Amino acid sequence: MRFRTTLAPLRAAMRLLSPLALAAITTPAFAHSENGVAIDFWGGFTHPIFGPDHVIAMVAVGLWGAFLGAPAIWLLPVVFPLVMAVGGAAGVVGVPLPGVETGIAVSAIMLGGMVAFAARPPLWIAAVLVGAFAIFHGHAHGAELPIGADAVAFSMGFVVATGMLHLAGIAFGGLSHWPAGRVAVRGAGGVISLLGLAYLGKFL
Amino acid sequence: MNRFFCIALVICSFVSTTPALAHTPIMGIGGVFGGIIHALLIPEHGLTLLALGLVLGRRQQETRRSGLLVFAAALTCGLVAAALTGEETLAGDILLLVAGTLGLLIAADWAPPRLALALAALAGVTFALDSKPDGISTAESARMLIGSGLGAVIALAVVAEVSVFFRGYALFIAARVAGSWIAAIGIMVLSLRIATRMTLG
Repeated sequence: MRFRTTLAPLRAAMRLLSPLALAAITTPAFAHSENGVAIDFWGGFTHPIFGPDHVIAMVAVGLWGAFLGAPAIWLLPVVFPLVMAVGGAAGVVGVPLPGVETGIAVSAIMLGGMVAFAARPPLWIAAVLVGAFAIFHGHAHGAELPIGADAVAFSMGFVVATGMLHLAGIAFGGLSHWPAGRVAVRGAGGVISLLGLAYLGKFL
Repeated sequence: MNRFFCIALVICSFVSTTPALAHTPIMGIGGVFGGIIHALLIPEHGLTLLALGLVLGRRQQETRRSGLLVFAAALTCGLVAAALTGEETLAGDILLLVAGTLGLLIAADWAPPRLALALAALAGVTFALDSKPDGISTAESARMLIGSGLGAVIALAVVAEVSVFFRGYALFIAARVAGSWIAAIGIMVLSLRIATRMTLG
């Protein structure tokens, strides 16, 4: 008890300082700069984050994984970057893939819908579905990578950001352990699905 | 609270990273220490060491130690070759291929001992061949190569021995996710390099 009392001010300080520390290190957000893509870790890290259609789909992957529970909670975030990289490679070398933007919008609709309707298909179907959509996301990013750049750091940032978005989805999806949280998670899936519909309407 | 602080710390670490520019000379740092820095700060080198360390860390002690020895032996041979030759090689690309393969093995949680040892040998040779610094004297180059070798072996040993403790379920999953990330980075960068060669020659 005394130990807890001793730590209380420290905990309060940490609670205050952690968000401040995060806020203090923020930098200007330049969404998909028209002047070119920065080929460094930060450029790669921000690349998927500033594409809202990518963001909602990747968060949906995490949400669905958390909703399905183990082993989907880690298998889906493992499958996604692997297949996304294959799609990215196809985009980089110029392999054509029709309807990339439509595919991305449909991925948000489908994945969000899966969460909203609490769909629980077999694991392999979930993995195939996520993998199929990952190709579209990877292709879109790969096609935007500038030729001539040695993009190890860029790709590291890019993949880490993708993983962080999955993690955000998983963290929020963790609320589904509680009845009210379950409603919130399904609601978030519905919102993602509606946003995907809006993107689809924009492209059609 | 602790968990929240840890998450905040991890995010801060990622956000506060600076560009990792391959083969960037660090002004004022040369010799053996410069070589160590050189070995560890090149992204594909760091990735390969991390991936190989994670693969070896999941093996039994005998295989793990054998892997470290094989890597050290191959690295030494590669460093001697790098010191004697000055030709451009595809070492960087092969190193990325090895890193990507190791990443796939981690993600699949499947790594037969012989395959792990073969990849350790390939990683050692290509790591060394890709470590030769450009535009400096022979003596300075030799010192930096020795530093690169030392840095690589120490870093690999640390990662492999630390990852032995990745036995819990959460850490096991974290390692598999990290493996998928490493494989994804390897695939994307290799494809970009191939596309660059096809486009620019």
